[in-house]
Amino acid sequence: MNIRYTLPDDEMEVLAPLIKGERIEYCVPFDLDKNGNFNQGGWVAVTRKALYLLQDGEIINTIDITATDEILCSSEVDNGILVARKDGQDSFICRFSMRYMTQNSYLARGATLFCRGQNRVIESREREKYCPQCKRVLPGTNECPRCVGAGRTFSRFWDLCGAYALPLLVITVFMAVSSVITVGQQFIQRDFIDDVLAPAKGTASQVIMFFAVMLALSLLSLTMSTVNVIWSNRLGTKISRDLRGRVYAKINSLSMDFISSRQAGELMNRVVHDSAHVREFMENAFAQMLTRISVMVLALITMLVMNWQLALLSLVFVPLAFILVRAFRKFERRLWRQQWRFDDKVNDRLQDVISGIRVVKSFGQEERETVRFKSYIERLMQIQRRNESLWATLYPFVTLIITSGSYLILYFGGSAVMSEDMTIGQLVQFIAYANMLYMPLQYVSRLPRMIMRLKTALERIYDILDEEPKIDDADDAKDIEIHGNVEFDDVTFGYKSYEPVLEQINLSVNEGEMIGLVGSSGTGKSTMINLLMRLYDADEGQVLIDGVPISKLSKSCLHRQIGVVLQETFLFSGTLFENIRYANPDATLLDVIRAAKIANAHDFITKFPDGYDTYVGERGYNLSGGERQRIAIARAILHNPRLLILDEATSSLDTETEYQIQEALNRLIEGRTTFAIAHRLSTLRKADRIVVLDKHTIAEVGTHNELMNQKGIYHGLVMAQLEMHM
Amino acid sequence: MTETIVKNEYDVLEQQKQAVEDIISVRLITDENAVFSRTDGGFVSLTFTGEDGKTVEYNRVAVHRCFPHSDPNHYISIREPDGDGREIGLIEDLSSLSDETVNMLEEQLSLRYFTPKIIRLKNIREEYGYSYWDVVTDKGACRFTVRMGSGNVYSIGKNRYLINDLDGNRFEIPDLYEMTPREIKQLDLFI
Repeated sequence: MNIRYTLPDDEMEVLAPLIKGERIEYCVPFDLDKNGNFNQGGWVAVTRKALYLLQDGEIINTIDITATDEILCSSEVDNGILVARKDGQDSFICRFSMRYMTQNSYLARGATLFCRGQNRVIESREREKYCPQCKRVLPGTNECPRCVGAGRTFSRFWDLCGAYALPLLVITVFMAVSSVITVGQQFIQRDFIDDVLAPAKGTASQVIMFFAVMLALSLLSLTMSTVNVIWSNRLGTKISRDLRGRVYAKINSLSMDFISSRQAGELMNRVVHDSAHVREFMENAFAQMLTRISVMVLALITMLVMNWQLALLSLVFVPLAFILVRAFRKFERRLWRQQWRFDDKVNDRLQDVISGIRVVKSFGQEERETVRFKSYIERLMQIQRRNESLWATLYPFVTLIITSGSYLILYFGGSAVMSEDMTIGQLVQFIAYANMLYMPLQYVSRLPRMIMRLKTALERIYDILDEEPKIDDADDAKDIEIHGNVEFDDVTFGYKSYEPVLEQINLSVNEGEMIGLVGSSGTGKSTMINLLMRLYDADEGQVLIDGVPISKLSKSCLHRQIGVVLQETFLFSGTLFENIRYANPDATLLDVIRAAKIANAHDFITKFPDGYDTYVGERGYNLSGGERQRIAIARAILHNPRLLILDEATSSLDTETEYQIQEALNRLIEGRTTFAIAHRLSTLRKADRIVVLDKHTIAEVGTHNELMNQKGIYHGLVMAQLEMHM
Repeated sequence: MTETIVKNEYDVLEQQKQAVEDIISVRLITDENAVFSRTDGGFVSLTFTGEDGKTVEYNRVAVHRCFPHSDPNHYISIREPDGDGREIGLIEDLSSLSDETVNMLEEQLSLRYFTPKIIRLKNIREEYGYSYWDVVTDKGACRFTVRMGSGNVYSIGKNRYLINDLDGNRFEIPDLYEMTPREIKQLDLFI
């Protein structure tokens, strides 16, 4: 997201003499006055020395940053304000709607760093919501599918098709031939009418011949279009398979940063739906579009050659019919949309009540809910009835009007036949062509929408394919045998760069040491782990393993030697055996059994009817939390990592299971550098040192006894838990 | 030694009980126990005397409505602006305070709340999953974007609607049937 807008010239002119060559580090708009009225034309500009407030080309406020403690962006209800704080006194700076909330939060954070004398300049990793040019919403992409030239989309489409030259060629050729047949058939029919039927002196053999030729052509055309459909489908599925594969592989290789800046659902959409859009286009639109358009063009040319006056006459109706079709489609959409929306509402209501049925019953509100639901479905029925009858009445009329051009042809053409300017066969042929013009109109009116959909889908797919992975192996990435010394060297990090989750973390951990991470939620425990696993890179400072910065380690080296046991163990669909072996596909049956034994899992597994072959996952055998956890531990043991991470590994278990898991964990921890996050402090008894995080920094470090004697945060936490469990 | 530990633990527990007490008790703010005044920075400060007779000064307080839609002038919560935003006290009825105080607090309320009311609907254009609105509100003219699909335009009472835009702004239609038939027809798709 842009946090360095370019000031308009007028504003720049006013500001330039004041800033005396200082660079404007942040500049964002604000759009409300203090009373909350919309008021465009306001700007906040920040240099390292001062914050300037501009409105309509004038400087209305200047704040000396060096004499301010903090610039705050405070979020109010559906709007925000910037506040300057000095010695606990707040001053209002400016006000903005949610439109500029994020930008102003960044600005405030950036300016505060200057207030504190730090030189760091922050960047925004958030994406722009609107296209800067056309102000339309971006579909989650960097570039607007509407504003990128048709040329680029086309070249992308061409890239995509490049690999499928053969099927494309076949489709095109078949399509051209079948269009020619469709149009040409009418000539034969004309001759049949004019030479055989009309004069009524054709012979039986002539009839048979015409019949044979027509049948042959129809069969040929049928075959062609069948082949065409098959090839189009094959092409479509191939393209979508390839795209899915490429997008999926790319997503996997991108950093967590990229992945978490999008919702899981959205990424799934790109893999599944966007590639499906491309497929649909190839299957339905591509071949059909070309066929119909070429038939239209061929028919039109033939009509013009045959009788240009009549051809133009029938053409006159085309734009009219086209407009009508579009208007009708819009009306139709509106009609159905309304119905769907209400349908949704009824469903929502139903779901609400049924999932809350216990509450409804226990408060004795069945009667009221029934009455309410009845009123909903009553209304739905009315809408449905109205729509259906409207539809049933209107549709035939619209079709009539759309095809009314052919009645004109019938009249004028009929007159021409009477005056012998035209034969009957020609008239029939002409009418057939006119229908070829009118029929695809409904289809053509949908084209722009289909093409836009393709463009958007392509843009969204390429948005991922073009992304450069942020965390990638450096060229000189090392592959080392990890011993287990870990150091956090002055690490600062935030998921959003204006909101640091960790600030200046310094921690040195020796090989084999077990560190307990403690602190209330949101203080950055998991974030430390994420940095250690290099799911993200630190904004400042670095994390070192055995003295090597992890950015210099290859990803495979790092992940091969780190093991993780999380609070919620995710088991993939598959057998228990496969799940335990997930990280080491080469492990033998005996290896797996050994690991399971150490993890205290072997016994319960062998008690299952299917043993290690028990199928788990989505629709598989349902393991309890403790069982899942022990599978995860077995997985980690088999992985044999040098660094072990336990993220709330035992918090979702009951006391007895916890004891068993703890036993298993103790065996796992032995001799490995371990980071354990725990809410239940009793699980950290074995920790060599405990690190207490508070307000984004390390507040206390020491053994359990040391910290208890300090009577600080840790002491308070322990006491609070004692109280709760007593 | 053991005694001090026990005593310390007792203190911790005592503090926690105090904190709970603080959270659950309802403290009312009146002209008698509170003095509000304007700050140079454009906010409001408070000198508050609690039931225990202790007087506390706050450099700046946040002013929240408990019922911003249904009863905007009753139960105004006065809170610390930072940290956990602890509630200092509740004003039961805004109009029961002195005019000067009411003015001051209303200023703060108008600084906090921003839900423009749509007065005129110039146009709604719909395109590929989003609708682009061009409206005049009581806070001035503005354009905003709404994602299509249910949930972004919703009723909060009889004929009263809220609209969530893509940025997280909210717009209000106070009474649907005060709008012109043409406007209602445009809105028909959403409600």
